[in-house]
Amino acid sequence: MSPRLAGRLVAALVASALLGCGRHAEKGSGTIVRRLEGEPKTLNALLATGDPDLTVLALVSRNLLDYDSSLTLVPGLAESVLPDASHRSFTVTLAPDAMWEDGARVTADDVVFTLETLVDPKTPAVNRRGLFEGFEKAEKLDDRTARVTFRTASSTRLDAFSLPLLPAARYRGTAIGSNPLNRAPLSNGPYRLARWTAGSSLELERNPRASGPRGAADRFVFRVVPESAVAFEALRTGAVDEARLTQPQYAEVDREKGDVRAVLWNDLSYTYIGWNNRLPLFESAAVRRALTQLIDREGISRALYGGLARPANGPLPPGLWPYDPALEPIAFDPAAAAAALDEAGFRRGTGGVRQKGAARFAFALSLGGGSDVLRQIAETVQQAFRVAGIEMTLRPMEWAAFSSAVDDGSFEACFLAMSLDPNPDLFPNWHSSQSPPNGWNSVFYRNARVDALIEQLRGTFDRQEARPLYAEIQRLIRDDEPVTFLHCVPVKWGLNRRIQGAATSPIGLSLFWPGAASWRTVRSKSPV
Amino acid sequence: MIGLALRRTVRGLATLVGVAAVVFLLMNAAPGDPASLSLGRQAGRGAASPGAVAAFRAEYGLDRPLPARFAAWLRRAALLDFGRSLQDGRPVRERIGETLPATVALNVSGLALGLLIALPVGIVAARRRGGLFDRASGLALDLLFASPPFVIGLALLLLFAVRFRLFPVLGGVDEGPAGFVLPVLALALGAAAPAARVVRSILVEAFGSSAAAAGRARGDDAAAEVARAMHRSGAQLAALVATLLPVTVAGSVLVERLFSVRGTGALLAEAVFSRDTPTVLGLTLLAAGVVVAGSIVSDLAAAALDPRLAGGARTVTGPEAAR
Repeated sequence: MSPRLAGRLVAALVASALLGCGRHAEKGSGTIVRRLEGEPKTLNALLATGDPDLTVLALVSRNLLDYDSSLTLVPGLAESVLPDASHRSFTVTLAPDAMWEDGARVTADDVVFTLETLVDPKTPAVNRRGLFEGFEKAEKLDDRTARVTFRTASSTRLDAFSLPLLPAARYRGTAIGSNPLNRAPLSNGPYRLARWTAGSSLELERNPRASGPRGAADRFVFRVVPESAVAFEALRTGAVDEARLTQPQYAEVDREKGDVRAVLWNDLSYTYIGWNNRLPLFESAAVRRALTQLIDREGISRALYGGLARPANGPLPPGLWPYDPALEPIAFDPAAAAAALDEAGFRRGTGGVRQKGAARFAFALSLGGGSDVLRQIAETVQQAFRVAGIEMTLRPMEWAAFSSAVDDGSFEACFLAMSLDPNPDLFPNWHSSQSPPNGWNSVFYRNARVDALIEQLRGTFDRQEARPLYAEIQRLIRDDEPVTFLHCVPVKWGLNRRIQGAATSPIGLSLFWPGAASWRTVRSKSPV
Repeated sequence: MIGLALRRTVRGLATLVGVAAVVFLLMNAAPGDPASLSLGRQAGRGAASPGAVAAFRAEYGLDRPLPARFAAWLRRAALLDFGRSLQDGRPVRERIGETLPATVALNVSGLALGLLIALPVGIVAARRRGGLFDRASGLALDLLFASPPFVIGLALLLLFAVRFRLFPVLGGVDEGPAGFVLPVLALALGAAAPAARVVRSILVEAFGSSAAAAGRARGDDAAAEVARAMHRSGAQLAALVATLLPVTVAGSVLVERLFSVRGTGALLAEAVFSRDTPTVLGLTLLAAGVVVAGSIVSDLAAAALDPRLAGGARTVTGPEAAR
């Protein structure tokens, strides 16, 4: 290659770079650029499960009822959803101005069609179907009114109506999983899909036919940025306006006080180590409590979460209304743990490992995915257990294999995070009837009193009456410690300071109403 | 020559079927149910209902025996129909078509630029063997050789996108040509390092040959000597390209991810983790096809340049040639 040719090549590269940067800057101050960790799999609101899908849909598809930032249900496409005295039948009255982006009204036909599709066993509506357990029928009363009837009453029923709708006229008679609208949804929300560049970005523009207040920003661009470190640099250079932060990134943003501000909130999740309660090693509550006493959760929080994570005290995180703040987490107390293990018959044997008869206290902790923090926590716990005479090996697994093992209950111990609904039903995770293969009680927890309380809660519609029942359940589960409740870890986010109007809620920055629809830009600072 | 082409094509097709069979078996032996994963399994929150899983299996033929599934897939693949993705139900060909242009653009440009860098560096280093340029370029190339393209890309990103802000942090089509500069450069530098070393070795050998000595005795100038040496080493250089191609393609998987360029690498990773066998098979076949085709073309080119190789002799590249 001649020097002249090389010079031309370099000049072309630099010119293309400058042109490219210019193009990006043209997007303007009314455009907010958001980060997606991956490309949405579907924009069918009923089938969506992933964060990218839900993040985009939050601006495109409203629910019959939406949660606001305090997790109170507020009118959405429906102006009201009212139960009858039996709490088995609900009358859905649609808002008079609820409309699809093609100008068609949102009607009771859409409600009936959506519900019948949802409960069809062939519809893979993983996120939604559980709330419609016991569904009996949906009937159209008139264009704006439908009646939905369930076979049984349940205190979490109203939350089921935080439900998006599908346009019946476009979906009826088609295969729901492969309908072209799944990639070009018909909006009934504040924004509509303007462009989807496969693998790269999605653009939303205001929906002129949206009911209710219009979106504050002109446009949203969603950029697919899989790498967290790259997203962070994109945030700092202004290429994106928001991104989730890791703990070190949060600390850096907080220290810099630059164009990015750090936002922090408690979500509805906690991390835990699940003990397989049906195995002899973990069948005793005293032993499980001892395992928790060996783990210095405050120390882990200081070392890995900058002290921001707090020890979880039971099956409900602080953001939920029935959470009992008075319930003390089991304290870090290795001496008490050692005494409890001795008393349970697990005494130190050959090599310092505890054993009871011929059974050594040795097991594997299954880990899914590859989070560094998770692995560091597991290693810290492993070290603490080793000192106490317990041999715990780490078994990192690929996510699909890990999920199968958890759902089948085929593990000894597993490290997981639990994420709850705004009005949680404890039945699927903690009722003894829901052990695999029937439900999600993967640790095979059994407590007759807890079962009875959970059943009682399902028929208790007054929150004041429900609160003490929840408190008792939390205490019983904390005492039984079927899992070691580890941490409630706050979510950390970075937002460009040009974004105003962003509020947080326990369900995130945007999965509530109005969420990101209220975001606006305050000064013209174009992305680089 | 025709005989060589036929032999290599038949062997290439057998290789493709073998690769597809192995990948198919591995995907089906891996733990995790593709139906429940594709329908949105959440650990601790359960999966789709048994009815939905059964319907999904029937729709995609997952309820049929493995040999029947593979045979059916092979029949369709012969017509370039790789089936439908288990993730979103769209044709695999369509999904690959969305991501392939970015990957091809990255890899072809990266490889071409890599060779544009490697050839002059290799030539000058060989001409001035043992000199300052040879030693300095050798050190630089060794450093690059030891760094995976992902690391090179990260360094370029931090320097030119974050520090100097000359290029966008995010790559891909949304940024226009600028979005491809750094990822192409990362791949090019990754390819240039081994290529320049091989070019140097080949040419050092060529310059030291009796033919080169004869040329010098005839009064060849430096340019003519290089041209003759390049011509004599044509077969080895053609084989070098074939060797670099799979290395560059493999390196581009992480480079795509680093620069947020959605190419076939990202698609493959997603497909593997969600047990989307049709997509994995389609992509594997494509990648294997490119490598096999590159190898055939390289062998034919080598045979054309050196007729002795048409009889079945093979070219020597890579570390072997460097020795």
